[in-house]
Amino acid sequence: MTMRASVRDAMLAAVPSLRAFAISLSGNVDRADDLVQETLLRAMANINSFQPGTNMSAWLFTILRNLFRSEYRKRRREVEDTDGGYAETLKSHPEQHSRVEFQEFRVALAKLPPDQREALILVGASGFSYEEAAAICDCAVGTIKSRVNRARTRLSDLLSIEGADDFGPDRTTRAILSAGGRS
Amino acid sequence: MQTDAPPRKTGGRLSREDQRRLGDILQRMYDDVLHQGVPDRFRDLLNELEGEGERTKSIPAAPQEEGASGSDSDHLMGTKGFDSPNIKGPH
Repeated sequence: MTMRASVRDAMLAAVPSLRAFAISLSGNVDRADDLVQETLLRAMANINSFQPGTNMSAWLFTILRNLFRSEYRKRRREVEDTDGGYAETLKSHPEQHSRVEFQEFRVALAKLPPDQREALILVGASGFSYEEAAAICDCAVGTIKSRVNRARTRLSDLLSIEGADDFGPDRTTRAILSAGGRS
Repeated sequence: MQTDAPPRKTGGRLSREDQRRLGDILQRMYDDVLHQGVPDRFRDLLNELEGEGERTKSIPAAPQEEGASGSDSDHLMGTKGFDSPNIKGPH
């Protein structure tokens, strides 16, 4: 296998998680796929700045995150299309209650400030350590930790979870479900 | 001095259980996309980009130049391959 081919394969392997990250960040599948495409183009064009032996996935996430942030700054005044297009990613989910749950969660996630959202996704879903997430977001580890905490608290507020400890284990799910069916 | 203090204690931590539930939903949503695999447009794009690299590399006419063009690859890759366990796959 040529060197170039192994770079391609490494990038290919990272595409699903890059898409998941981009969709979680932007809440829009089309926009997310454009972000991933731009990320891959930039990465290939700047492959010389990748340090062999380091985490290719983290490098690609950094590029995508920075692209999203610069785009976000440009689009700040535009109305965010938070759930448009996302329904498509839910097609694979047969259970109706999951769809409702996801939809509510998606809307709440979109309401978080971008710095909290990206921190929560990187640590809570992408599987990066706090240290890796801090490197990707170019901030201190403590900053990531506090952003994740604030993101969780804010999400629970938005999803009508009280944050107290005297609720049964199904509290969160029920709160999310009832939020979906409120009149 | 406190203004408009929230009913809950400031920075109130969620219970572990609530944290776990939130985490589960986030994770399932994320995994839903992971399981979609690699859309064709990205496979095509990367194959195309890789093809461009191949063509550029094969351009040198004289065999002696292979060392020179190879050094770029060496710089690119160092001694390690990219298909290392560092790369996080879908989980």
